[in-house]
Amino acid sequence: MSDTSILTITGLRAKVADEDLDILMGVDLEIRPGQIHTIMGPNGSGKSTLAKVLAGHPDYEVTGGDVVFNGQSILDLEPNERALAGMFLAFQYPTEIPGVSIANFLRTALQARLEDGEEVDLFDFQEELLDRMKLLDMDPAFAERPVNDGFSGGEKKRNEILQMAVLRPTLALMDETDSGLDIDALQIVANGVNTLREENPDMTVLLITHYQRMLNYIKPDAVHVMVGGRIVRSGGPEVAIALEEQGYADWKEQDKDEGQEEEQQQQVVTA
Amino acid sequence: MSSSPRAAEAPVAEEDTPSSLDESAVESISRGAPSWLSERRRHAWSVFEDTPLPSTRSEEWRYTDVSRVVDFADLRLAPDGMPAENGSRPAGLTAAMEEDLAASGHAVLVDGNVVHVDLDPALEEQGVILTSLRTAVNEHVGLLEELLATEVLPPEEGKFQALNAALWSDGVLLYVPPNVKLDLPVRATRWLSHAGSAVFARTLIVAEPGSQVSYVEELLSEDFDKRTLVSSAVEVVARDGAQIQYVSVQRLGRGVFCQSAQRTLAHRDSKLDTLNVNLGASVTRLDLNAQLLGAGAHSEMLGLYFGDQDQHFDHNTSQDHVAPDTGSDLLYKGALDDRAQAAFRGIIRVHPDAQRTDAYQTNRNLLLSDECRANSLPNLEIQADDVKCSHGATVGQLDSEALFYLLSRGLSREQAERLVVLGFLGDVMARLPLGGVVEKVTRAIERKLEHV
Amino acid sequence: MPENELVEGLGLDEYQYGFIDDEAHVFRTRPGLSEEVVRQISKHKEEPEWMLEFRLKALKIYESKPMPTWGGDLSDLEATLDEIYFYVKPQDQMERSWDDVPSNIKNTFERLGIPEAEQKLLAGVGAQYESEMVYHSLKEEWASKGVIFDSIEDGLKNHPEIFREHFATVIPAADNKFAALNSAVWSGGSFVYVPKGVELETPLQAYFRVNQERMGQFERTMIIMEEGSQAHYIEGCTAPVYSTDSFHSGVIEIILKKDSRFRYTTIQNWSNNMYNLVTQRAVVNENATMEWLDGNLGSKLTMKYPSCYLVGEGAHGDIMSIAYASDGQHQDTGGKVVHVAPNTTSSITSKSISKGNGRSSYRGLCKVYEGANNARSNVECDALLINATARTDTYPYIEIEEKQATVGHEATVSRIGDTQLFYLMSRGLTKEEAMALIVRGFIEPIAKELPLEYAVELNRLIELEMEGSVG
Repeated sequence: MSDTSILTITGLRAKVADEDLDILMGVDLEIRPGQIHTIMGPNGSGKSTLAKVLAGHPDYEVTGGDVVFNGQSILDLEPNERALAGMFLAFQYPTEIPGVSIANFLRTALQARLEDGEEVDLFDFQEELLDRMKLLDMDPAFAERPVNDGFSGGEKKRNEILQMAVLRPTLALMDETDSGLDIDALQIVANGVNTLREENPDMTVLLITHYQRMLNYIKPDAVHVMVGGRIVRSGGPEVAIALEEQGYADWKEQDKDEGQEEEQQQQVVTA
Repeated sequence: MSSSPRAAEAPVAEEDTPSSLDESAVESISRGAPSWLSERRRHAWSVFEDTPLPSTRSEEWRYTDVSRVVDFADLRLAPDGMPAENGSRPAGLTAAMEEDLAASGHAVLVDGNVVHVDLDPALEEQGVILTSLRTAVNEHVGLLEELLATEVLPPEEGKFQALNAALWSDGVLLYVPPNVKLDLPVRATRWLSHAGSAVFARTLIVAEPGSQVSYVEELLSEDFDKRTLVSSAVEVVARDGAQIQYVSVQRLGRGVFCQSAQRTLAHRDSKLDTLNVNLGASVTRLDLNAQLLGAGAHSEMLGLYFGDQDQHFDHNTSQDHVAPDTGSDLLYKGALDDRAQAAFRGIIRVHPDAQRTDAYQTNRNLLLSDECRANSLPNLEIQADDVKCSHGATVGQLDSEALFYLLSRGLSREQAERLVVLGFLGDVMARLPLGGVVEKVTRAIERKLEHV
Repeated sequence: MPENELVEGLGLDEYQYGFIDDEAHVFRTRPGLSEEVVRQISKHKEEPEWMLEFRLKALKIYESKPMPTWGGDLSDLEATLDEIYFYVKPQDQMERSWDDVPSNIKNTFERLGIPEAEQKLLAGVGAQYESEMVYHSLKEEWASKGVIFDSIEDGLKNHPEIFREHFATVIPAADNKFAALNSAVWSGGSFVYVPKGVELETPLQAYFRVNQERMGQFERTMIIMEEGSQAHYIEGCTAPVYSTDSFHSGVIEIILKKDSRFRYTTIQNWSNNMYNLVTQRAVVNENATMEWLDGNLGSKLTMKYPSCYLVGEGAHGDIMSIAYASDGQHQDTGGKVVHVAPNTTSSITSKSISKGNGRSSYRGLCKVYEGANNARSNVECDALLINATARTDTYPYIEIEEKQATVGHEATVSRIGDTQLFYLMSRGLTKEEAMALIVRGFIEPIAKELPLEYAVELNRLIELEMEGSVG
């Protein structure tokens, strides 16, 4: 383990909580502060599961390995404790919370980061929120809408970016944030991430995606290919380009050669 | 069992004068019967006597004043003399039977007694049983002793259930052995010929694990000038993984009070669907209870009714989710014209352990006249938290937009109205497609609409 | 024959709070109910003969009607009714000392940040309220417009004609067993009269009036809205009201004349030893609008179904309700809309939350009489279950006699989803905070209609309630 890494994943294995179904088969990954890493892989490879396991989703159970974030093993932490430690998961399918406005929600989330007895100052918060929305070129009226309730796919993703902007995480896990977006929405989301990075170059990003197109807008320092629940190749941006041209077929072949029979089963379940 | 069509066993009661609904009728009907059955009938009679006539003060009978509908002292049991197998049949009965030729088997009942049964010999070979209850009392004692008017519809369920259990004269037993699948439905036709009589019949359907069957029965009669009671008790059991469709099409004549109690027991991974079509009779009362007893069980419960003149329909349904991971989906739709009245009372009960229940219940009414009336009580009682439950009820008039659209295409107002009503009712049948049934019901509705 | 119990006045409290009352002794009937008790109440209030007759007649009706067998479990009520005092002079309620108030109630007060004076008021140990000055200035404004806002007793004394003309016309004594009981022994409540064309901006708050007479066990309120008038009336509070009484049965009658508009907001948070059986009904005339905003948080059992009788063409009724049932509680609440006249419209929106072994039941009626052409009514009920032992029921009655009517009812049941919880927790909220936020969001459509201070208190209360519900 390197002292300079922000996130170190070693031999991480995980399964679906109530079933005997292994998804992560031993993932190793190390990210240094301020880096952008991308994980690519076919449907069912376990890349979304990795993001959820890192954030502490109750549907999955870790069966081996470790995750060290900021020098601390986080596997025993509740999802909210991981968030307070500086982790942020941008959801692939953001959840609807009817009746709760984005502003109210974010104020509560900021309140959770304060010591007992401290209160978020309403006026400061309002100012900060407007400021962050301006940064992301968003209409202030957006903050009064209920969280994700009745949002289009693009609006939901923008809401995730806004939350990221307000909560200022040190590590952003972006779980297929690009899926289901048209090219305009994709650009808006990518610009948001880039803007936040410009503002805070130390913000680390783990970008999980199925397609190479997101990488036209966000330039990764490293690209990892995940197949069958483990990382099968790592390299620079050239890996993504090669994948775009050749697809995942070669990797799956290679994967099978390595004797990973479980893969087919996984594909059915997580597709 | 022989595969040739035949009449049921000899009549049990042989009095010349039709008998009143009293204890002596229970005794005479029990004569010669096995003792377990006589005991059961006597017990049912005592329950009947101890149970007060339901009043409109009780929730379940709020909208039907049964004291004005039925007078037990006035009714006589239907005489037991049956038309000969090949003798003259009423035209209405013959017409209905002719529409039902494609079938795995047939049962014909006249005044509550089975007069004809036939079953595809290949199915009989596989152990399928289709027979009259009178025959079954001797030939399939085990099945009947276990399931007839016991765990499914015991007399304690209510006044009418008790009366039927005491006085039933005959009915149908359909038994499907494990893993046997019937491609074509079994069809039963029930004809009623005596005005002023009371007819008590039962139906028992048991589908063993992995089997599949559909049963379609039709109730028919002429119009009567005397109050006549047709009482049915329908017991349906789907064992693990079985699939059953039960369909009842009721086209009885005016003057009839059609009372039907039905209960379905759906065990693990079974699929038990019902469709109740009520078009005839003066007063119709249906009590239908679906029990979801095993994980993975599902029941689709469909109903449609169309009333005119002074017809009165009262549907009382319940969906009991006892086991976890069960589903039920109820849709009852009705159209009312003239002075017709309809009441729907439905309840979804999710029992404490029935987590992950999916239960839905919808009642929609279409009012076509100024004097008709619709009451709807869709209830929920939920004692588990991980459930998806919703219910809805609407009462409305013909969609004026739809009417206008059709008029603008050149249809007359009558044609347009008929089309909208047919469309409104038709989507119930679309959810349970069954050869011959959709056409039959559609024709019956069309005939009624011609009077609109 | 029962005899009066004469209890020495509570000099200490009266002195401490500067309470001025020329009554040296406090009057209290004996437990149980009889004709004699009713006569004493009437005599004590110096009522006209017709009111005494009304009370006595109501008593006979009460005695002749059976206990309801529907709704909640009333099997213990008969015994309770034998125990209670049917009439207690208001000051007597201060007999209880602050030390007698259970500590859990006190803690809740503390955590809600309720000022001490108000805490005592809510606990029934004091009757002074700081807003007296506010009340006085409002009182002048109301008087100048001809608005009457008085105790029901003063209404009868000072405005006998208007009073008699309308009293018990909306809810006759024979309406139901508990309306009959209230009619026999009513005491306390408000009398409101808003003259033609008068529009009141500031809500009439029963709160302001409490120093005159606390809301009684058998309170009776009558509100008359003349043509074109507008007002909003608020009673109750979100903070827990502690009372040693275990039975409350109010009657609220409201008459809306042509083109008037009225909203009645009530929040009850009785301590959970209380049977709360209330009849509240409005008669809504031509083009008038009635809105009920009803929050039920406390009590052991509440049975309350605010009603709108839409008797004038174009009349409109709205019923919005929130019910919260926690351990040992049954909220059997809902609403009734009765469409009698053409072009009448109504809506019922109900949100209920059940927690622990609590049970919330929606019970409602939508009735459209023949002749109410183009009546439209819509009912929506949503239930939220906090844990597996909680229970919810929905019993809507829909009775339609008119072809040209459009009536819809929808109900849903949901629980707090695991994905919702995870989403909020991944943003740093604890599970309890996440649950509270979801519950607040769930009731938001109705809570936003509440006066701000009520909404704030309601939110804080939900946060308190969610603590310890995570298992």
